[in-house]
Amino acid sequence: MSKLGFYLRIYGKIIVQDVKSKMSYRSDFIISIIGILLTDASELLAFYITFLNFPSVCGWTYHEMLFLYGFSLIALTPLQCLFDNNWNLRHYVYDGDFIKYCFRPINIFFYFISEDFDTKGIGQFLVGLGTLIYAWRKLGLSVSFISIALLVVALFSASLFMIAIMNIAAATCFYLTNSGYVIGTMSKFRDYAKYPITIFSTFFRLIFTFIIPIAFIAYYPSLVVLRPENIPLLTWFSPVYGIFFFYISYKVWMLGASKYSGTGS
Amino acid sequence: MRVRAWFSLTRASIMEFLQFRLSALVMFLGNIIYLIVIYNLWKAIFASVDNGIVNGMSFNDTMIYLVLASAQFTFMEAYLVWEMGRSIQSGRIVLELLKPIPIEQYKLFGIEGGNIAAFVVTFIPTFIIVQVITKGAIPMGINLVYYLVAATLGMLINFSIDFLIGTVCLYTESTWGINIMKQVVVLFLSGAVVPLAFFPDKLRALALFLPFQAIYNTPLTFLTSNELTTMNSIKMLGVQAIWVVVLFVLAKLFWHLSERVITVNGG
Amino acid sequence: MNSVIELKSVDKEFKVLNRHEGLKGSFRDLFSRDYKIVEAVKNVSMTIEAGTIVGYLGPNGAGKSTTIKMMTGVLQPTRGEILVNGRVPYKNRTSNAQNIGVVFGQRSQLWWSLPLIESFKLLKDIYKISDKDYKDMLALYESLVDIKELYSKPVRQMSLGQRTLSDILAAFLHNPPIVFLDEPTIGLDVSMKAKIRDLIKALNKEKNTTVILTTHDMGDVDALCERIIIIDKGTMLYDNDIEHLRNFFGAYRTLKIRTNKNTEVVSEEEANEQLEIIKSKVASKFPDNDFIYGTEEGWYSILLDDSKIHLMKVLSFLQEQMTIYDVRLEEISTESVIKKIYEDSERMKKQEKAEVSHES
Repeated sequence: MSKLGFYLRIYGKIIVQDVKSKMSYRSDFIISIIGILLTDASELLAFYITFLNFPSVCGWTYHEMLFLYGFSLIALTPLQCLFDNNWNLRHYVYDGDFIKYCFRPINIFFYFISEDFDTKGIGQFLVGLGTLIYAWRKLGLSVSFISIALLVVALFSASLFMIAIMNIAAATCFYLTNSGYVIGTMSKFRDYAKYPITIFSTFFRLIFTFIIPIAFIAYYPSLVVLRPENIPLLTWFSPVYGIFFFYISYKVWMLGASKYSGTGS
Repeated sequence: MRVRAWFSLTRASIMEFLQFRLSALVMFLGNIIYLIVIYNLWKAIFASVDNGIVNGMSFNDTMIYLVLASAQFTFMEAYLVWEMGRSIQSGRIVLELLKPIPIEQYKLFGIEGGNIAAFVVTFIPTFIIVQVITKGAIPMGINLVYYLVAATLGMLINFSIDFLIGTVCLYTESTWGINIMKQVVVLFLSGAVVPLAFFPDKLRALALFLPFQAIYNTPLTFLTSNELTTMNSIKMLGVQAIWVVVLFVLAKLFWHLSERVITVNGG
Repeated sequence: MNSVIELKSVDKEFKVLNRHEGLKGSFRDLFSRDYKIVEAVKNVSMTIEAGTIVGYLGPNGAGKSTTIKMMTGVLQPTRGEILVNGRVPYKNRTSNAQNIGVVFGQRSQLWWSLPLIESFKLLKDIYKISDKDYKDMLALYESLVDIKELYSKPVRQMSLGQRTLSDILAAFLHNPPIVFLDEPTIGLDVSMKAKIRDLIKALNKEKNTTVILTTHDMGDVDALCERIIIIDKGTMLYDNDIEHLRNFFGAYRTLKIRTNKNTEVVSEEEANEQLEIIKSKVASKFPDNDFIYGTEEGWYSILLDDSKIHLMKVLSFLQEQMTIYDVRLEEISTESVIKKIYEDSERMKKQEKAEVSHES
């Protein structure tokens, strides 16, 4: 049995069990879903209000902006659903409860992340999908096997970036005494993912491309569908860069975890 | 006298804030990046209109408004709903009830020190940067005093709403959902996301009728508008003060009605 | 003998940030890089044979958890060698984890919201336990404790006792050669404590599992441990059988007397006053002995070394001095032996210090 198969099997089982137990707290489930839908609704409303007053943003129309937003929501769903336990990491670390993850014969990062499947991400996914389809139709973009396949690849690589950013942000709690604001501040970046990077000057384009690569969450990958005649090299590069960046974040996280045990009691 | 207790709680929460070491810096940097994003975004947005003024708001006005709204958010938002939800779920709330100060005062002064520290660390530098970038577009006069009063009242309104919503956590375990709903509604209807001036008329009328605009819109108006008469200013502060009283009484009342949930269930 | 754990002169040091007090201090900490080195474990060596239950004792902050973390592979020793099941634990944490079980304090390692049996099933997959072994183990568990009724209960809804029980069973589930139990009976009521002790004993017997147990409860020690290791301030103070432990201070006995007819009439102040009188009298008569005095419920106790000064001598002296209504002689309890070991090492350190400062 391969190692990957082993982990996938365990992961599947944990998720099924976790979702089952979450569903049993129905009111919590419903309130959380309403909460996340309301968040998305307020964003859409903000777009709508802005475009009531202004015709376009840097040459991007209302529907193109909606497309970017829908794309970013879908790309952020894996982060929301699968990696949400990162938000709890600092509590485990400061209370000393993190130690329990160190005693099992499995990867600590995997074990920690697998513990929580966040069901409310499903609501976000549906809003994102709805927005994307709506914008797609309004823009009159063609639907083909190729475009769908490209979209899926683009979404996959896009999702890696924000996960990586949040892994690093969460891992800061291994190094800093109180790091709540790091993850809070970093999570704000996901809100900027929905804007086309062309609104920035060169300097910040570089930052948002290579240092805090939020431009990869929606802008670069969605060009594949939105502006197929004019795709920059970076877009094709994004899956590789995504995997690389995710790997770095994993290493930072694991290094922090091994440092953690050095803090005593 | 309770003043001593208030002072100690304030001092302790300032110290707690400073324990964050790097986090204070990160918060500030986060604000700067937000400032850059907002600056570029709205510059791009305003590039699409000809005369540069929309609904009475110029690019500068919008910038000042949004960036300071965000800076104001960092010093006002103490995540009280979240904190109350956690302490209710963990049962720690029982210990807080045993303190010799009413719980709403304990909570208020427990967070207000953090608010003051964050005001100094994040709001004032952001204010200065905005003033420099916009080449002194923020009027500097008696309106700054109005702003401080309005921000304090806004903070009290925010606190009362938080305390009111936090009390709801006695009835449900869904702290996250309650918290995010409150945050979204407050931020949107207070004009912190999109300035109220851009709202369609009906929506704006609704927003102005609700207490949320008194948290962000009222204080920020003192920093963006040049044409406020003293009469108008006093009137705006008066409306805020009324909201403070109404919401605080409401929050206190709701808590007292709900307290028995703890005494009945044993927390 | 077949040793499963071996420690050779192990040291562990931590770097800790010096925190400053007060508002000013908080400001300073914002920028300070003022570290100090704390020696949590100093020159600890031990060899533990398969199948023993070892009590690892020491006051809070003595370095117990640190040692256990090193044995489980979570921490790397600063100096020295550790072998667990023939492996260096920190070099291969995962394969070491496969061969140990851990229950760490009151921190449940089970999936909080899942029913117990689902946690067990997940552990079965994680530890790659065969169907047969898993079934046999559950059968063994069911024969030892009433666990069946807990299977469908989510861990978050369990009482502390039920949770501890479940955690211990989970730690033994993959039949590891070694199980570490960190304060397993803390906070439990008397009957639950007994139940947990019986369970640990039975599992140790049945599977020949080595158990390393840290505890503050001498009941645990008396009921379970064949061997005791005591550590304080990172240094090992004692390592031997439990019989030896009692012999270690074997000559120590407690003399208890009552000087009042009625125990109820004695107030606390009176008792203390009377104890002072006894103290000064005994001390002036036998000046070269360090007795330990105490009073409880109208009784006055003197702990003394029978080999140095005969207990009967002290008693007859006291009889000349005052009216004694009742007398009791007690062998020293495990608890007082351990207390004495801590106190002796404390005193020795003070003496050393005094000598050092005297020399300089």
